[in-house]
Amino acid sequence: MNIAKESIAGTLESNDLLVKVSPSLDASLEVHVISEVMYQFGAQIEATVHDELDRLGVKSGVVIIEDKGALDCTIRARVEAAILRSSGAEIDWSRLS
Amino acid sequence: MTKKLRRSMLFLPGANAAMLSTAFVFRPDSIMFDLEDAVSLREKDTARLLVFHTLRLPMYSDIEKVVRINPLSTPFGQADLEAAVRGGADVIRLPKTDCAEDVHELEAAVEAIERSCGRSVGSTQLMAAIESASGVVNAVAIAKASPRLIGIALAGFDYVMDMQTERGDGTELFYARCAVLHAARAAGIDAFDVVYGNVNDDEGFLKEVDLIKRLGFNGKSLINPRQIELLHRAYAPTEEDVDHAHRVIAAAEDAERRGLGVIALNGKMIDAPVIAHAERVLQRAAASGVSV
Amino acid sequence: MGEECEELAFETIELSRQPGEREEIVQLLAKCGLTMEEGVDTFVVCRRGRRLLACAGLEANIVKCVATDPLCRGESISLKVVSEVVHLAYERGHAHLFLYTRPNNIAFFAGCGFYPIVEVPGLVTVMENTPIGIRAYCNRLKAKRHDGERIGAIVMNANPFTHGHEYLVHQALAHCDWLHVFVVAEDVSFFSYADRYALVSAGIGHLPRLTLHHGSPYMVSRATFSSYFFKDKGVVGDCCTAVDLLIFREFIAPALGITHRFVGTEPFCPTTRKYNADMKYWLQADLSGAPPVAVVEIPRVETAGTPISASEVRRLLKAGSMEAIDRLVPPATLDLLTRKYAPAPAADPILMRAV
Repeated sequence: MNIAKESIAGTLESNDLLVKVSPSLDASLEVHVISEVMYQFGAQIEATVHDELDRLGVKSGVVIIEDKGALDCTIRARVEAAILRSSGAEIDWSRLS
Repeated sequence: MTKKLRRSMLFLPGANAAMLSTAFVFRPDSIMFDLEDAVSLREKDTARLLVFHTLRLPMYSDIEKVVRINPLSTPFGQADLEAAVRGGADVIRLPKTDCAEDVHELEAAVEAIERSCGRSVGSTQLMAAIESASGVVNAVAIAKASPRLIGIALAGFDYVMDMQTERGDGTELFYARCAVLHAARAAGIDAFDVVYGNVNDDEGFLKEVDLIKRLGFNGKSLINPRQIELLHRAYAPTEEDVDHAHRVIAAAEDAERRGLGVIALNGKMIDAPVIAHAERVLQRAAASGVSV
Repeated sequence: MGEECEELAFETIELSRQPGEREEIVQLLAKCGLTMEEGVDTFVVCRRGRRLLACAGLEANIVKCVATDPLCRGESISLKVVSEVVHLAYERGHAHLFLYTRPNNIAFFAGCGFYPIVEVPGLVTVMENTPIGIRAYCNRLKAKRHDGERIGAIVMNANPFTHGHEYLVHQALAHCDWLHVFVVAEDVSFFSYADRYALVSAGIGHLPRLTLHHGSPYMVSRATFSSYFFKDKGVVGDCCTAVDLLIFREFIAPALGITHRFVGTEPFCPTTRKYNADMKYWLQADLSGAPPVAVVEIPRVETAGTPISASEVRRLLKAGSMEAIDRLVPPATLDLLTRKYAPAPAADPILMRAV
């Protein structure tokens, strides 16, 4: 899947996160994580996001995560939603299952 | 085999990440993840994904998980169903069920997904929400439409609009409640009552609970976790009921041990429905923590 | 007993089409010590029942007029209304958002996903909705850095490119080791950004010791300097030029190592004249952690006793005097004007005037 346009998913309420994605200017994949629990979980959040991007076949783009203490599954769901909105593609459930 | 106890079915808005990640602590009998009315059009896609992932959380593994999908006639219904069945929902709740064909259509769609994702065919249960005059009139056919059905529910908000009235003291729902309840009992499945909208009015809520309990509903859909405890307490049998139920069961066991064809308690004959009722009383008592 | 009676409802309002909604919003803003700002047409409002609890305005990529009824604070309504307006902006194609607020509100907007860029001390803070915006932009600029003792910069709108711009660039080049020229990217001038950039590129792109840059939202844009594009209304607050100039001093100049900024003297336009005067203060005064940038004002080149200016070119174009324009602009500009812009179309007078 491609990050084709700027998209957003999620909220900044507690236990949630806001995901913003935009096309990359130089075909690289950048993930920026800002979290209230950065010290404890920053690396784990980043790993989850990268894993999710891998699953969806995202090769390039800028992904900004503003986390408010979301569960792993919430992070996955919001990242998927932002990427789907950006790519305009139909969801491939077998890829997520 | 004891039937699943379903007194409280807690609605959770599917797009609310905070509620989805914490609601298991409230311990309702069933949790219903809503993808329909509680989710705005803009959030349909992300709510569906949130619910898909939340269904797999270990914290929810021992709670019955229901997903209310959008009607299959909308652009969202099929994708909602994919998420719910693949995510492992125990029950799919179909809104706005007007006739048995609606259930058949859902059943076929569920089966197709079960086959494609490797979930065992028939493992996804269904419930149908009746929200219109047609639905109420067709309640019996709906309740008997599929062996997957575990229950039918009355949904008041759309129903009263269809009836050209509004929510009041319950008179406006009287026929619908009775019709849905009779259909459910005739089909041997559960019956659920409407949500009570005013979360700050405990007195009104308890009055309604008392009414639907006496009518015979298994339970009620809830929108506020605070109502769970109130409902469970209201559905708890009295110690007297529990005591009597114990004696019924003891008599039945005694008769079985002695190979008697007729069961008697205090000189009166007891038959199967009485024993079934006693079992339900003890189940509710255990779930409510009533001393036995 | 409606089941939905407790729920918050969000709605988008266009004041131009729903003038009846204006008064209620004005009253809510007043309760919060704010006034209705010019140019804000779109509002997201939050209601419970009929009661207006919160609002947030949107003007293109700028969030304005955010207010929550003081009685409803603490219900995260403010966060929700800002979140709604951000989603609305995305739907309208604006992903990079800015907002101006009093410095004491920074913490609140930080909770809504906005990050401060600069503060005009005690007056106003400008924030953007990304944690990496200005930082990523500066990193891209750094890749174009050239070392030298005197590194110059010119920011031009070039609406259109004239001999005056050409002269300014040559003068500046004579004064420094390397020159960075930026073309204002905001596409609200009479000539399109693509045309303006192309003409500048044709005119000076080939010169040695010079880098031509595309403009950005961080430089003489709607976001950094919104009133610039509405100067016919005479709305030029001090804060506006300060924000633009402080961003230049604190981010852009350090990224490229810029030591001097060159401007032409402004004989006609009061807004540009004020901008030049403010520039000397905000770039040179001892008021920032960032090193000062020397402002060099270069007298305008004249032809037949009159300084050359883009606004004069636009006036002549409107009058259809193509021969008179010939003396003021390079051949590429004249060619484009003749092909594409003459005879003068009926243009929006507000947009006509930008330099």
